[in-house]
Amino acid sequence: MKRSSSHITHQASTAASPGESAALLSVGLLDVASTTPPGPPGRAPWILARLHRLASNLGGKFGPGAAAVAALCAFLSFPMPADALLYIDINAPGGKRLPIAVADFAATPGDPSLSRGIPKILSDDLALTDLFDLVPPTAHIETVTAAHFSGKPLSFPGWKMIGAEAVVIGNVESRGGNLSIEMRLYDATQGTLLVGRRYSGTARQARSIAHRFANEIVYTFTGVRGVFGTEIAFSARDGKSKGKEIFVVGMDGQDLRKITSNRSFNLFPRWSPDGQWLAYTSYRTGAPAVYLRNVSTGAEKEILRFGGAKAPGGFSPDGVWVYAGVSQGGNSDIYRVRVVGGAVEKVVEGWGLDVSPSPSPDGRRIAFVSDRGGSPQVYVKTIGQAGETRVSQGTGYATSPSWSPAGDRIAYTARSGGRFAVFTVSPDGSDPREVASAPDADCEDPSFAPDGRSIVYTYRKRGYSALKIISSDGRRQRTLVSGLGDAGSPAWSPGR
Amino acid sequence: MKRSFPWKRAALALFVSVLVAAGCAKKQTVKSEGTAGGAGTQAAAPAASAPGTAEVKESAVKEAPPAPAAAAPAEQPMLAAKAAEAGVAVTEEKPSQFDDVRFDFDKSVLREDGRKTTQGVAEYLKKNPRVKLLIEGHCDERGTSEYNMALGERRAASVMNYLVSLGIPKAVLSTVSYGKEKPLDPGHNEEAWAKNRRAHFVLQ
Repeated sequence: MKRSSSHITHQASTAASPGESAALLSVGLLDVASTTPPGPPGRAPWILARLHRLASNLGGKFGPGAAAVAALCAFLSFPMPADALLYIDINAPGGKRLPIAVADFAATPGDPSLSRGIPKILSDDLALTDLFDLVPPTAHIETVTAAHFSGKPLSFPGWKMIGAEAVVIGNVESRGGNLSIEMRLYDATQGTLLVGRRYSGTARQARSIAHRFANEIVYTFTGVRGVFGTEIAFSARDGKSKGKEIFVVGMDGQDLRKITSNRSFNLFPRWSPDGQWLAYTSYRTGAPAVYLRNVSTGAEKEILRFGGAKAPGGFSPDGVWVYAGVSQGGNSDIYRVRVVGGAVEKVVEGWGLDVSPSPSPDGRRIAFVSDRGGSPQVYVKTIGQAGETRVSQGTGYATSPSWSPAGDRIAYTARSGGRFAVFTVSPDGSDPREVASAPDADCEDPSFAPDGRSIVYTYRKRGYSALKIISSDGRRQRTLVSGLGDAGSPAWSPGR
Repeated sequence: MKRSFPWKRAALALFVSVLVAAGCAKKQTVKSEGTAGGAGTQAAAPAASAPGTAEVKESAVKEAPPAPAAAAPAEQPMLAAKAAEAGVAVTEEKPSQFDDVRFDFDKSVLREDGRKTTQGVAEYLKKNPRVKLLIEGHCDERGTSEYNMALGERRAASVMNYLVSLGIPKAVLSTVSYGKEKPLDPGHNEEAWAKNRRAHFVLQ
């Protein structure tokens, strides 16, 4: 019996667990061909493994038998993700992209803004990840109807013929201003349903709903939830005003909106862990104060009144504390303030300027900037313990730390070759890597995405400024916002 | 027997059987009610929070209330208006009869020229004891905003401390930092930057 097969490179996401990724890196990639014929349910998949890379190295030296045994040991030394037949290697350089088709949706009543518009949002989101090859709608053969959501199977051979290994279909029912959207992701090779969701909401939420399902798709294939629907807050000049306002924009560059409107200096926006509040500094009364604003309702309260110059940093992961750098008498220390009640604790003090606290994802440590050594450098400190470790090396000026929500890296700005560049480093100070730089411009103020896989930063070149998003490995980047004066201090919201 | 043990075949057979066993052991049966009846509804569900992903789940997406205009602090209308004016006023450069005190890059220590300027300010204040003085601290555009905010504050404090050492009572002095947000010279060269690394005196 001839079996069809597809070749997907398998590797668990390095976000799975630290030990797991180390084991994977040391044994190379396991290339698995899944060969399940679409038969009656309950039949076990028949997996043939083609040993890739590792086998070719060892086979040459010791013979294929040794290679097979080595691969067996390698296989046993790490757990495969349960049921992961289709899985994307998100970390292989130049890895194969997964061909996926997002079909035009069925819509009742027929409305191209829904039947074409929602799949387009999904496709655009998937394209941003650089993990997928979108099979264009012009190549699609089968028309998806409501019947496909009540028992009628898709014609998978047709989808496979045009190159799709996965298919997304959707059904939209709109009534008044409300929508019910069902979306499904199928493995086209096996003809199996991988994930399905039915959402209900208003018409205005269609975009947000599409983002949620795009996150499900990314999660299904990589084990790490996507970040579509998240937002970036930043500070920028508003038109001709000399002040700066707080803005928020979707990570896809859509839905730019202004949060403050007082024409004073509004700076340093920082998200609460539930994504509902922004802490920021405002000079709107004439002197700097830190406020906490609810981005949905606009409700606001002042949370830091003492001292002179002040800037909020990150929050503790339980949302109880917000960290801030506050100057008094010309010296700046790091404090944390209870969001409810306003009690203040000093966290870092000393003769130097201590600013820019960025907590680790577990809240036990903070990265911060201090010039106690003579020039500003990035340090890491365990809360409640004395002492700190310097993590920036080889530069005379390092500031703006951002601790990745994945926990494994800290991004920062450092002076390098006469201009500023974005680096990441391990929290113990080892393995510094340059991520974003430009020969005649400054790259500053990095902020990690919730999945730790992208960084938004400020690109500045002699008066021109833009916000850019770069993958954490520095390989791909795009412009998020440009044309707003002096945009800076970006902060990526938590996951949605 | 002359034939060698078929290592290759044995290893491959063992390997494949382990893989099949692992595949069988980890296979989950997943509910498929309400979905297109499909062959082999085997979900490639990563272990963790999404249960029963071959079943279409319901999610109601809550409508976020429309965001009202930026809320003004709850104050009496007169005070609120005054505060708003003060908030806008901070973005304007205030004229000064005194020169600015200038600083070296990333430094807050007074140079000789800065000390001379400050001495002149001290003399004026002594002759006008009822006048109050605000000392603004500023930085050039290089470097990042939060650190520059603290550096500007330290520059202003440095000047204030010197005035106090010259006999000016602290009560008439106050400081504020604008970091790099309010450059005097919008240029992008060393000449502009030198002007922007400054403390600025504003009589009140």
